[in-house]
Formats: sequence, structure tokens, C-alpha cells
Amino acid sequence: MNLTISPSSHYALAAVSGDITHAVSPQFQESLLGALASHPALVLECSGIGILTSAGLRALLLLHRAAQTDGKRLALAGVPQSVRDVMEITGFWTHFAVFESEDAAAETLRQPA
Amino acid sequence: MEARIDLYPTQTISGYSVRPGRALPYGATLVPGGVNFSIFSSVATACTLVLFEKDGGAPLAELPLPDAFRIGDVWSITVFGLDPEAFTYGFRIDGPNDRGAGHWCDRSQVLLDPRARAMTGRDCWGVEPNPDDPYPYRAFVAPEDFDWQGDQPPGYALEDLVIYEMHVRGFTRHPSSGVKHPGTYAGLVEKIPYLVELGVNCVELLPIFEFDEFELSRPNSQTGRLNMNYWGYSTVGFFAPKAGYAATGAAGMQCDELKTMVRALHAAGIEVVLDVVFNHTCEGDHRGPTISFRGLDNKTYYLLTPEGFYHNFSGCGNSMNCNHPVVRELVLECLRYWVAEYHIDGFRFDAAAILGRGAHGGPISNPPVLEEVATDPVLSKTKLIAEAWDAGGLYLLGQFPNYGRFAEWNGKFRDDVRDYLRGEPERAGLLATRLAGSPDLYEASGRGPRASVNFVTCHDGFTLRDLVSYNTKHNAENDEGNRDGIDDNRSWNCGVEGDTDDPEILALRARQCRNAMLALMVSRGIPMLLMGDEAGHTQRGNNNAYCHDSEAYWLNWSAMDKDMLAFARQAIALRRRHPVLRVPAHPRSDRPGALGFPEVSWHGWQPGQPDWSSRLLVGVFAGEFAGQADVVLFGWNSGWTAEDIELPAAPSGYAWFAEINVTAPTAAREPLGARFLIGPRSAIALALVPLDEGGRA
Repeated sequence: MNLTISPSSHYALAAVSGDITHAVSPQFQESLLGALASHPALVLECSGIGILTSAGLRALLLLHRAAQTDGKRLALAGVPQSVRDVMEITGFWTHFAVFESEDAAAETLRQPA
Repeated sequence: MEARIDLYPTQTISGYSVRPGRALPYGATLVPGGVNFSIFSSVATACTLVLFEKDGGAPLAELPLPDAFRIGDVWSITVFGLDPEAFTYGFRIDGPNDRGAGHWCDRSQVLLDPRARAMTGRDCWGVEPNPDDPYPYRAFVAPEDFDWQGDQPPGYALEDLVIYEMHVRGFTRHPSSGVKHPGTYAGLVEKIPYLVELGVNCVELLPIFEFDEFELSRPNSQTGRLNMNYWGYSTVGFFAPKAGYAATGAAGMQCDELKTMVRALHAAGIEVVLDVVFNHTCEGDHRGPTISFRGLDNKTYYLLTPEGFYHNFSGCGNSMNCNHPVVRELVLECLRYWVAEYHIDGFRFDAAAILGRGAHGGPISNPPVLEEVATDPVLSKTKLIAEAWDAGGLYLLGQFPNYGRFAEWNGKFRDDVRDYLRGEPERAGLLATRLAGSPDLYEASGRGPRASVNFVTCHDGFTLRDLVSYNTKHNAENDEGNRDGIDDNRSWNCGVEGDTDDPEILALRARQCRNAMLALMVSRGIPMLLMGDEAGHTQRGNNNAYCHDSEAYWLNWSAMDKDMLAFARQAIALRRRHPVLRVPAHPRSDRPGALGFPEVSWHGWQPGQPDWSSRLLVGVFAGEFAGQADVVLFGWNSGWTAEDIELPAAPSGYAWFAEINVTAPTAAREPLGARFLIGPRSAIALALVPLDEGGRA
């Protein structure tokens, strides 16, 4: 997994690529929680994700819950179709605010929640 | 927070940091920092945990468990630092190998954990197993956390269920289903609106515990394909969902996918009953493969003859020793697991009579396994349904040890309704008994109609359309010389065997299907219809289609009989609209029902004069529900000619209205006169409706 986090005016942008598995999910979660702590919102750019395993799905959901608890906003952008399929079939998809691209996510995040 | 003081390794085995494990729970469990493994064998002299990569190959490591890791007959070990998504596992058991004495231990085998919550080996349906892989079945740890989003099982009363018996794969695998993920749990979810519109509120799934669809598979000279174990009545893993039914099985996410399906069904008001097979396992007889139980503790898990061979009460090679305390615990734990972890609403026990057999194979009067299931706290609201017979000749219909909990698949309902349907003489009395919820079977014991799962067809036998299209089975496609499958079908082809374009015969068959569907829906008890029967599904006369995984057998959505489907919806809606059809007590003719009618009254051409030797029966069912009278008349003429009957007189201010008339499906709904013409081989359902001052309903 490769994760790069860059701040923006209204949100932090995190671009993730590679596989999100049990082996990397603690690091994934920790980094993104850190980014959320210092920003009102987080856009997770997912187009580079290869495989999202059970543990990866759970890491995403836990991140979503943490954001909710802290009144922060989390948006997923550019989710590959194969990842989307898995998220839909396993019941994780409906939790998330999902956008085609970072720009579309940013547009929405500019509006008040 | 790591509050426990024992979460540290005490030693290293084969390069892994380990400590003596916790004996309970059995199986593999995630613990902070590692995984706990626990397994039972009363005969093992040594036990080795074998770890593999996720994708298999040669063992990654073998961890022999020191004697100190054994408590009683349970071996357990906690291994630290394992990535739960990156390993699979099995066990080697050292112990006696004396087959005459019933011992089959063999340390060269890597055995599947009977508590495997998820496993490899069959993750993609139909992908042929690699015969050179010595370790196909490896267990792995699946996450047990799931966001149920407040899911609540519907919790319907038994008598309010309308059960739809279905095959997960066959339901949507046909290309005409149009779903995104054909043949899977996810595909089923896409078709929930169809089930809702049909009106069923419970699905009973043919086995979804992991099985091997290639078990005993062989080339079929008739079809040119492989004969498969399509139905799946042969369990490999009792705690593991069938991965090949999951679109995400290859990714190991079958548990989440199945839970998502259950959640979606519940949200749509549909309960989920699983067909479970505890009577035998996939290990077969002495010629079968050693996968798990046989190598762990053969004598505990199986019923054996004094010579060490397998009793075969299941017809499938072996019989589980269900009333042994250890096996009872496995059964109970398994059922609890599916209810607690997967929110399953009920179970149908395949060949359940075997669960009433003792250690020597004979029936016992108070089978502990059944008592424990019936009285278990976790299962106290779970629907329990027995197939009250087995292949060893134990037939317990009406007498299944039920502890007030087990309903039964009512084989007599099937037989008697089929006989009446095909026009056998002198069956009116038997039909009346079935309509009343089979008091001959369930009244004396006080069980009532809740004990009776009524069905005319099920997966085992003809489909409804074939029941009215064939006199005899046509199983040549099974490639067994038409010898397999039962001959006692009580079917009638309506004049021509099989396909015809004779419009009269087709019309008659259409009526016969509707008659059976309506009789099922007006009968006291719990109706169960077979997937596809609502829309004319055919297997072309095959009454034992266990081995066919092909387009010709999957539910064909583009070939659905729309008119039949509309009728089935109407018949199910009738049942749901009229509480009198769902009373959980046998109706009596000497107790008042409503509007001057007793709970039940029987009639023939004249009111109050049933002719039990005829092919005409009229029953009126009456009751009051929340202060409202509900009176339904069901009439069925199974003779060749239309019958002009005098209706029982409607009380002042009421009139009979036709709810359903098989002969005239689109007739205008208006108050009926004193007489009614029931068409040839047709059934009707009328209801008493209050008239307003203008004389209209």
C-alpha cells in the first residue's frame, strides 16, 4: 500500500494505492485518523486501490465512524468498479459518501454539511 | 487496552511464538496479538497444528503441540503474530489406526477443523478441484464483526409463514435472471423485490453449509456434462457458508456477503430458514475421503457397526452419531452459531429421524440432541422443522420427538393432495383432514397445525408443472438408466405424457397447477412452495434433479408463466388476507366460528351433505378476529364435469363473493346467488362479505 496525504484548503486529500489488507490496515487507519484530526474533512482518492480485503473494509468503516464521532466528513472518490462491487455485495457501500472524482468530492465538501 | 496478563508467548515452536491455548471455544478464534486454536479428539496421542499460506501449497509450518497444551481430550494453542488474512490451517492427529475397532487416525492427513468458520477448497463454484492438491480444505479465520444496522428478525408466528423452498444458485444463475452476480447470495438480494411481490415471507435455502459440488461427480453420457452434487446435501464444513455461492468467495468474503443477504431479506420482511444436514457428512463410507471427523475421532462422530463399518441410515454412506454428547455439542453449537452470528430464523433438518437414533443405530425414545435443540436458550425463538424420516426406514411423521418445538414436513399432505388432484376416488375425506391441518397426525399430541409444514412439491420430486404433465419419472438425464428417484409420484399427465400443444390439455394442466396452489394456501398449517412452481418451472419430468447444474434446470426467468405467477400471487395474498386460514388450531365442527357458521363445516352438492366418496368437497372455515368475522369457503371439484352446488346460505346482510375461481380467473367481483358452478377439475375460494344498504359490498 502506498498512501500520500496532502492538505487542501477545506480538506485533506489522501491518495491510496495498492492493496489494503490486514497487514497494512493499522497503518492506513492511523495515518488517516491523523489527517482527520487536523482537517474538517478527508477525501480518500481510491482509484489506485487493487484489493480491499475484509480487514481493509473494516478499516474504512472504522474511519468513517471515527469521522462521524468527531463531526468530520469523509468522502471516497474514484473507487474502482471491482472495489465498489465488493463493497456493495458485502454491505459496506451504503455507509459512505462517494464521488466520481476528487473534484466532485471537493465541490460537495465546500457546501455546509 | 490489554487487560489480560496472559497475552504473551511462553515458548517458541517451529519458529512461532506460542503459549498453551484456551480450550474453549473450539476452533480458531482471534485473540489480541494472535489466534487461539482448539480441537477435540478422544483418541489422539499427539496433535500438530499445520499452517499454510492463504493460497495453500506446501505447509508453511508444523507446530506439534506439547502434552502440556492438552486439557482432557482438547488440544489448544495460541499462536502470536499471525496475520489472519494471510494464513490457513489444519491439524494432524496421531492415534490408533485399527479400522476393525473403528479407529482411522492417520498422521499423513491434514484434517479440516470441524469448527472452520470459513474454508478454502471450494471458493469458486464449478472450478474443478486439483486432484494433486493434498490439502484442498484449509480453514481460515473470518472476521465475525458485522454491522447489522439494527437488524431484527421478523419473528413471524409459524402459522403466518409462507415458505419458499429455493436453491441459492439455481434461483439467479440462469442468464435470464438479469442480475449482476448470477447464482450468488448477492444475486438473490437483487431478486428480493420478486419475492416480496410474490408474497412469500420466508425462504428456505437448500444447503448452504460448505459442500463439494464435485463430490462423486462423473461424466454424464446423456448430457455430455458432469453430474454434480448440485443440491449440496453433503456437508464438508458445518460452520462455513458455501463460498461458491458468494460472488466474493474467491476473496474470502463469503461470510460478509451472506450476512448482507440475510440483513436485506429481513429488511424486506422475509425470514431465512436453512436446510441443514446433520445426518451424515461428506466423508461417505469406508471408501470415502478422510477430510475431518473420520481422522479426528471416527468412533465418536459416526455410528459404526460392531465390525467397524459405517451404518448407512442416510443413504449417503455414513450416519452421524448425533446423540453422542460430543456430537450433540457440535450440533447445538452449530445451530447457535448460525442464529447468533448470521441471524438465521430457522432450520429444516434433513432426514431428521437419524437425530432420533442412539449409539447403536436404533431409535431412542427421548433423543437428547433433539431435546437440547428444542430447549436451548439461544434457539428458543428459532423455527425448527424436521424431515421426520430417514433412508434407514425410520418414519416418524406425526410422532417426531418434538418437545413442542419441531414442525414436520407433512408427507401425508403431499400424498393426499396429489391423490385428490389427480382425481383418485374416495379421497374427499383425506383432503378434508389435510385442509384442517392434519388433526389425524397432530391433534392427539396437542401440537396443532403449527406442526404441519404443508407442501405439494419440494426440491425432491416433480415440480408442480411436471406433476400435472407426467405420469412417471423421466430421469434418463441423470444417467442412471431411470432407476433413481421415487416411483410413488401420484402424478397425472392430463392425457399426454410431457410436452403437448393440445390446448385443452394445456388448459387442464394450468387449472391443475392452480388447484394445487390454492389448496396449499387455504390449508391450516404452514404452506411451502417450491421455487419456480409459482411460474410453471419444469424439469421435463425429472423427479430427482440433484445432479444437474445447467440452464435446463436453473430457474428460467424468461420462460415464466406470467398467468400462473399472477395466480400464485393472488392465492398467497388470499391466505395473508384471511386470518381464518392461518388459525394455529384444528377447526372443529362443534365449536362456533362466526356468523352462525361453526369453525369448520363440510358440504357437497347440498349444504351440510358432504359426500366423502366423491370428487367434490366444499369446506367453510369461520372465525372472529379482533371482532371481525372471517368466513372463507373453499370448494374443489376434481371430477371431469362441472358441478352445480348450492352454497351454504349467507346470513342476512352478507353475501358470498368469489375471491378466486380457477375456471374464471377474471370474473367480475359481485355478490353471488344461492348456487355456484364449480368448473371441471377446478377449485374456488369464496368469502362472506357484508353488504351495505344498497346491497353491494
